[in-house]
Amino acid sequence: MRIKYFADIRTLSGCLEQEWTRPAPTLRELVLGLAEQHGAAFSARVMPDGKLSATIIVLVNGQSAVHLDRLDTPLEPEDTVAFFPMIAGG
Amino acid sequence: MFGWSGMMLRVNLTTGSIKKEPINLSDAKLFIGARGLGTKIMADEVDPKVDPLSPENKLIFAPGPFSGTFAPSGGRYDVVTKGPLTGAIAASNSGGTFGPELKYAGYDLVIFEGAAAKPVYLWIKDDLVELRDASHIWGKTVPETTDLLRAETDEEAKVACIGPAGEKRVLFAAIMNDLHRAAGRSGVGAVMGSKNLKAIVVVGTRPVQVADPKGFLAAVEKARAAVKLNPIGGAGLKAYGTDVLVNILNESGALPTRNYQDGYFPTANKVGGETLAEKLLVRPKGCYSCVISCGRVTKVSNPKYMGEGEGPEYEAAWGMGPDCGIDDLEAIVKTNFLCNEYGLDSITMGATIACAMDLFEAGYVTLKDTGGKDMSFGNVDALVELTRMTANREGIGDKLALGSYRFAESFGHPEFSMTVKKQEMPAYDPRAIQGIGLEYATSNRGGCHVRGYTIAVEILGNGVKLDPHVITDKPHWVKLFQDLTAAVDSSGACIFGTFGMSGEDFAAMLTTLTGVPYTLDDYLKAGERVWNLERMFNLKAGLTSADDNLPERLLKCPIKTGPSKGGVSRLPEMLPEYYRLRGWDEQGVPTPEKLKELTLV
Repeated sequence: MRIKYFADIRTLSGCLEQEWTRPAPTLRELVLGLAEQHGAAFSARVMPDGKLSATIIVLVNGQSAVHLDRLDTPLEPEDTVAFFPMIAGG
Repeated sequence: MFGWSGMMLRVNLTTGSIKKEPINLSDAKLFIGARGLGTKIMADEVDPKVDPLSPENKLIFAPGPFSGTFAPSGGRYDVVTKGPLTGAIAASNSGGTFGPELKYAGYDLVIFEGAAAKPVYLWIKDDLVELRDASHIWGKTVPETTDLLRAETDEEAKVACIGPAGEKRVLFAAIMNDLHRAAGRSGVGAVMGSKNLKAIVVVGTRPVQVADPKGFLAAVEKARAAVKLNPIGGAGLKAYGTDVLVNILNESGALPTRNYQDGYFPTANKVGGETLAEKLLVRPKGCYSCVISCGRVTKVSNPKYMGEGEGPEYEAAWGMGPDCGIDDLEAIVKTNFLCNEYGLDSITMGATIACAMDLFEAGYVTLKDTGGKDMSFGNVDALVELTRMTANREGIGDKLALGSYRFAESFGHPEFSMTVKKQEMPAYDPRAIQGIGLEYATSNRGGCHVRGYTIAVEILGNGVKLDPHVITDKPHWVKLFQDLTAAVDSSGACIFGTFGMSGEDFAAMLTTLTGVPYTLDDYLKAGERVWNLERMFNLKAGLTSADDNLPERLLKCPIKTGPSKGGVSRLPEMLPEYYRLRGWDEQGVPTPEKLKELTLV
């Protein structure tokens, strides 16, 4: 599974992207695994209180997890998951 | 008078007369100011069928009630005229410090009429207002003009001017202020050039009067806190600038690529805000009374593209980058500097070059047409050189100066132009984000995202999270965003304030500032009034519902790769509902009942 990080979340993960090979049947397992790997600051930014932060955007193959099944969104090994802060422009 | 200064200048460039007139307060209450009040004057005084580059067109500079106060990010002004690129009403707004300074001089509007026989500039220092000869600065770039005019007037003066592009009537020439800020879209700079008006130079020393100082202070503090608490307005934009959008749009499959041939650009990260911040950013910068600071002070040290300046914003980085198949950020930054120096709309410049590259690769523009220049997608040298040639109207640049629609039409293929009402669409693909396509199609100034930035809810989830791929409720959201934005623009505020501030916040500040009570409904109604007045101007100018459309490529040619592969715009399904919600008939004409409701008859 391909994981991508952007803006300040890239800083917290310490990398632009990574491959994830451990089992992650849903987004919840993936995020928990990433939080374990990248530490407390990453965990607090992405999933405080056991829920996806309201100030980040998680895309699974380009679709927002909010419009899928949020943390229960099923994942496949060939999926791409991207983490963004809420950000804007024009 | 509170909020408004109560006075405007009327400058006849043909005769040289300068008059100071009181503004119409009842109009000010209804249309607020800036974009709204400027449009009201255009509707009252200018035949919508006028040739935009003729002396009969008028050019109006208008700050809003917030301009010059400490309302958060409330330092903007609008340039209102009939746009030569679109043939529609144009209202291009800009930040910096020029708008507030005009207000400090004591004016809510400056109306230019006619055309001067030789180049002039307007010098304003409070009550002193005079036209001065500008022959010696004609032909100068924006930085040269600004330096020369400050030297001969006041070192602290604020300058709004055109560069060579406006003088040469490039149809998408911008009006630049504070060196790097642009009233960019629809060719307002060409109108200024057609009037032989090189610049407005202003120094103001008078305060803006506030009706309820304590109430205004409380409303401002509440609004500021809301922006600072918002993840977008509070920290995100300052850290990475608007160009940070490159990656999220790309990962959403909504980054128009190679003249909208596709919606995904594999090397997008090379031109995104993170890369800009890491490699070329000197510091963030804010406009007058800004609490966000999205501006980018940037510097390129590579000798090939060496320079210092500001930007690029997301739209410019996209237009000169992925839309041209280019991922060289230094070349993009340099090209953006050139747009600022020559006075060009960086969105239309990039998108017009992208269209030319598309036509070149298709074989409709040949090496003979280009003077032997390779104009294939990805050609960085072509990007930089064509921008210079366009500003100076040299070689094929003379045709590029007409914008992509007229350029493509001259080669027999207008369908290659990615425009609405002949203005280039910006950097969000309607095949992947349905609401923004309806917004582009119905925008009163043609292809534009900031008339109704539904990206805030379709991609970013600011407050509300809507699925970008569905069309349900999108007409409602497009109308709401368009009406709110019209009110925000007319107040002299920046729409980025909506990343935190609510409509109630804007209404509360306007009420306490002016002493005129505005509820949220009043505020939105004012925006709707402005929107419908613009619509009526355009209909009288000859535009019809047929112009509320998108290029066929977006309706019939699916995105080829990336997360939104297969998507097309479903505009035809949304448009009838949009007309209905607006209170317009099936031809997109406001009904008599709607016009009466909005006090437009």
